Amino acid sequence: MNNEEMKQKLKEFFMSDLGVDGDVLNFDTPLFGDEIGLDSVDSLEIISFVDDNFGVSMTGVGKEHFQSIDTIAAFIENNKA
Amino acid sequence: MAVSEKRCVVSGLGVICAIGNNVEETWKNALASVSGIHKTTSVDTKDCYADLAAEVNCDTLDELECPDEKDRASKLCIKAAKEALADAGLSDFADSQRVGVIIGSCVGGVLSVEKYHRHGKNALEIPKMPIAAIASQVAECCHAGGIVTNVANACAAGTLSIAMACDLIRAGKADVVIAGGADSFASVPYSGFLSLHALDENGCSPFNHCNGITLGEGAGVVIVESFEHAQKRGAKQYCEVLGSGCTSDAHHITAPREDGLCLMEAMDRAVRNSGISKAEIGYLNAHGTGTGKNDNAEMNAFHQFFDAENPTLSVSSTKVMTGHCLGAAGAIEAVFSIKALTTDTVLPTLHYSPEDSEALKEKAGRMDYVQNQPKSKHLECVMSNNVAFGGTNASIVFSKKPGNIQCQTAKDKKIAVTGLGIVTPLGNGKERYLEAVKNSVQLQEPSVHSTITNEDYKELGIKMAFYRKLDNLGQLQTVSGVCALKDAAFTVTEENAKQIGIIVGTSEGGLGSTYDFEELIAESGNAGGSAFKFPHTVYNAAGGYLSICSGIKGYGITITTGPVSGLDSIGFSMNVIHDGQESAMMATGTDENIPVITEFAQKLGVAADSVVAPHAGANGFVVGDGSVSILLEEESYAQARSAKVYCYALGYGNGRKNVKFGKIDGSEGALDLAIADALADAGISAGDIDAVCGFANGYKKIDDIEKGALKRVFGDKLASMPVFEVKERTGEGRAGSAALAAAEAALLLSGDLAKDKAYYIADDGSVTAKEAESAGLKKILVISFAAGGSYSAVVFGK
Repeated sequence: MNNEEMKQKLKEFFMSDLGVDGDVLNFDTPLFGDEIGLDSVDSLEIISFVDDNFGVSMTGVGKEHFQSIDTIAAFIENNKA
Repeated sequence: MAVSEKRCVVSGLGVICAIGNNVEETWKNALASVSGIHKTTSVDTKDCYADLAAEVNCDTLDELECPDEKDRASKLCIKAAKEALADAGLSDFADSQRVGVIIGSCVGGVLSVEKYHRHGKNALEIPKMPIAAIASQVAECCHAGGIVTNVANACAAGTLSIAMACDLIRAGKADVVIAGGADSFASVPYSGFLSLHALDENGCSPFNHCNGITLGEGAGVVIVESFEHAQKRGAKQYCEVLGSGCTSDAHHITAPREDGLCLMEAMDRAVRNSGISKAEIGYLNAHGTGTGKNDNAEMNAFHQFFDAENPTLSVSSTKVMTGHCLGAAGAIEAVFSIKALTTDTVLPTLHYSPEDSEALKEKAGRMDYVQNQPKSKHLECVMSNNVAFGGTNASIVFSKKPGNIQCQTAKDKKIAVTGLGIVTPLGNGKERYLEAVKNSVQLQEPSVHSTITNEDYKELGIKMAFYRKLDNLGQLQTVSGVCALKDAAFTVTEENAKQIGIIVGTSEGGLGSTYDFEELIAESGNAGGSAFKFPHTVYNAAGGYLSICSGIKGYGITITTGPVSGLDSIGFSMNVIHDGQESAMMATGTDENIPVITEFAQKLGVAADSVVAPHAGANGFVVGDGSVSILLEEESYAQARSAKVYCYALGYGNGRKNVKFGKIDGSEGALDLAIADALADAGISAGDIDAVCGFANGYKKIDDIEKGALKRVFGDKLASMPVFEVKERTGEGRAGSAALAAAEAALLLSGDLAKDKAYYIADDGSVTAKEAESAGLKKILVISFAAGGSYSAVVFGK
């Protein structure tokens, strides 16, 4: 899976599992801002999805890596086995 | 109201939990600092990071009538209820209207959901699934014929059921209420709390390590009785139940407010309603779950609330003994609180090492967090608190002596209906409903459902960051609630947020979401639950979302006992306003029709296979849904903001003839009682009623009950009295339809609906339909029913 596909997969997860409207979700949209409004419950779901689908653990990882689809994808890329 | 008329006493106690199968055994173990937390033996723990639970060990749970028809939650509750009744010297009430049952639960018959899904979808499991089964089956075992309902506010449900029992007794609606809570340990809550990372792998450690909760199970029941009634029969009196407080955080669906603001408001209401001072409380049985968020918020709230007047208050959490028993927690802890009070003994929080105790000192200050061993202390009053998903806060006070109870302080005030929010399969918003009636829109399918779209959110100004979190039930409730506020031009502000509350009535509540969650974990294992989806399994999530979205911070409960819940929400809301608790109340009825709900109706053989109209004499009904929210305001409050008044809520009543939960046959006479009760409450007679908004749905069994009762109540007059049947356009939407019938009455009385199709029931039982004008209608009776034999009636008038 290339980086673009990974981001697309993450975006689809946000839409199908976290109820985010795809029209306003770009790869660089702040996830925890007013518009998307993710919270700590959502981050548990992100961690679980990333672990299950990319084999990368984000447990205990700093907030900065959860900022956007771009930063999550970058974290996965940098921590892949 | 004389002092003695406000007095409610506890005359019996019953409990079953991980440290005992009755009060004596449980109390003995509590005094010996026994914890019931062990490795779980009843759920699959594969790949799960925590495997502890506090399970009930009892091999006599099946020693009751028809055990195959009852979920474990009902069995636990019946066992505790029987103990409490025997303790109170009570047994069978012969369907007395003066005896009620109010039981709190969080997950209800979730084990039956699991069994249905994993073991061949046997229809016999279906009636055991909803929370509504519990109170109904308790009532059935002792023939309680008054108000029978369940409070479904998750972990605060047990406390609220006792609070509500007292409110109803003080309103003159009952003499005795069997109140409590019950929940069983099961895969759904276990997996759900795992997904939230909210379980402590080492066992819960409240106010100490605070790494999470440990789930328990059980039931607690207290017999609450009016002082007069107890006195008259020479009953044992453990203590008084004084005031209570109930508020909503309007903050987050699972996490409490960090500042504990609304918990403090709940405690403040409890103290004020009790007419005592904070200093009179000697012991506080805290919620103390063991999560950092809960415990910090609570400790913070206790300091702010008590430090000035009662700095050395004794506090503990008994959850290390029992585990967190969810909807049973408040009820079991009420039993602990009452035993503590009557024996002058404070129970400890267990498992503090010397280092832990040292660390606690810093957080506790002068407050007396009792650790490891019980402590003798003279007690006059004790407080028990519980908080819940959905943002609910509950606080109640038990006392050795009568307080100065504040209740029914606004009993003489008129209650105006000022706002309607209508979500049905016909469309969303009052205007769409009026349009559909005007155009005589007919049902097209035997299963119909409401749909919320992004357009609805846009119209109501609800942001995606909020609505993305909602499940279907939450969507219906949020949109109907916000529509009602908008219709009433009621703006929730910082100033009035605590003056308005919400009562959601629902038949199945989060059952559909519970089933979805069960499907998920049956496939992925208990380690594969979803933190996003789990909150939707609690029935009060929908009301919680409405509170968060609207900012409503007052009274907030969810009641569930079948379709009548959509009318009971109105009746109980009237009571909250009459109690002077709130100036405005949002009463709702909300139920959803997602595919599994239609599947259940089909399996039970009650779903019609083609469209049927009310009074069609069919063998089933159209499965529908909807959410209708009705804003009620104390008249002067409505006048002060120049609100439009649709009509007034004049009275409500209940009646019950016990039949098996899931059945209705044989209960017909009880509808007459509910109507008589509502008429008496409104201070009018049957002759004053001009029309009825009924509950007929086409299923002969149900429609015949309505026809029979109306004939007996109204006699010859019935033939010329219009009976409006909202289900002809929306199908059987359970609580949603019951509240819609009330909204229809409001629209007819206000003239917004100038005319509608009405049914006329002739003396020979034949029914004809024709259009009826609303002009000239002054008082309308609204009725509803529930499986198990409960009926409710509400009177609306000009």
